[in-house]
Amino acid sequence: MTTKNIIIDSSDQVPSFNLLRRFPVPRNFKVAPQSRIEKGRTWPAPAGATRVKAFDIYRYDPEAERNPRIDTFEIDLDDCGPMVLDALIWIKNKVDPALTFRRSCREGVCGSCAMNMDGTNWLACTRFISDMSPSATIFPLANLPIIKDLVPDTTHLFAQYEMIEPWLHAETPVPEKERLQSPEERSQLDGSYECILCFCCTSGCPSHWWNGDRFLGPAALLQAYRWLADSRDEAKEERLDTLEDPFRLYRCHTILNCTRTCPKGLNPGKAIAEIKKMVIERDS
Amino acid sequence: MEPEPAITKILSRPRPQSPNIQIYRPQLTSVLSIANRMTGVVLSLAAVGLVLWLSAAAAGPEAYGAVRGVIASWPGQVVLLGCTFAFFLHLCGGIRHLFWDTVRGFELRSIYMSGWAVVAASVILTMAAWIASLFLAK
Repeated sequence: MTTKNIIIDSSDQVPSFNLLRRFPVPRNFKVAPQSRIEKGRTWPAPAGATRVKAFDIYRYDPEAERNPRIDTFEIDLDDCGPMVLDALIWIKNKVDPALTFRRSCREGVCGSCAMNMDGTNWLACTRFISDMSPSATIFPLANLPIIKDLVPDTTHLFAQYEMIEPWLHAETPVPEKERLQSPEERSQLDGSYECILCFCCTSGCPSHWWNGDRFLGPAALLQAYRWLADSRDEAKEERLDTLEDPFRLYRCHTILNCTRTCPKGLNPGKAIAEIKKMVIERDS
Repeated sequence: MEPEPAITKILSRPRPQSPNIQIYRPQLTSVLSIANRMTGVVLSLAAVGLVLWLSAAAAGPEAYGAVRGVIASWPGQVVLLGCTFAFFLHLCGGIRHLFWDTVRGFELRSIYMSGWAVVAASVILTMAAWIASLFLAK
């Protein structure tokens, strides 16, 4: 074992050692009856396939009156692109056209194909199949209501995003041209404006699992910071008033699963710490 | 009467929730967070034990001897060792959180370095405390 196995330098590093695959909790720990996962079927690789890779994939069909299940799909690696998204598209084209997932840009800029692969959240289009474990698993983003298969309902997450009012608040008259920023002021937004709202972080945050109804979660809070840090915004006080709350902001316990999982390499955990510091500096 | 449209039936059924802790991979970030919580609980219980020990000492030699016997037994020693480790893990984790409160050490590499440092320091401090109490305090 080298230090590379235990010290993670950037979020795209796939962990190479595996002490625990999952937390030692019962499979149905705090799981509602309709969410309990049952065994599904196996879809074997086409005859003649030599390099076969199996994926355990979460399925849920709202029209079938049954619970979610895990189907095993065997794919032919010689016939398939290199990314996990390629594998999903291969399955949809060649095996089961009913397999449902969101995808668009296939290059990590749209955030549509965020899902849970081998137990962590990432984008299917930027995760190599070769980085998947021998018993590869694909689940929808964790802790969200499921519409179908790998498609979660993100209504609540976008409502939380809306709550931080992600637009410019300015009372001063609109200047003739644009509202100017110095390069230094503009650089304050680096690391937060790049967020693609894939919600890998919020879905991977244990605090949001337990208190997601009231805790805003890392994605919304990173964007809250993005507007707090904007030199052109004139509503810092009001924004901090909205955030200063035992749940909305302070349910963040600095677990930092968010920073570990961000597919864009951003740092929601640090942004939240900056907000907490702003609140303290304002109130002292 | 019109037949019920299929969509009504679908929407009337509660949607399943995708699994969270049942499938999410344990990482140093989340494991140390839950460990900090659990050691906090252990230390709260240990505080009760500390009070019992002090009360026994105040009550007289007989009561103290009984409590001392429990602590000196091998299950008592295992519990005491666990409490010592919990104390140091919670202490080191708390110091890590203090640094974070000043918005320092948030780069992913720093998060992992400080995390493993907390683990290593807790093990070393526990060992040092036991060696000191077993051999030096004689």
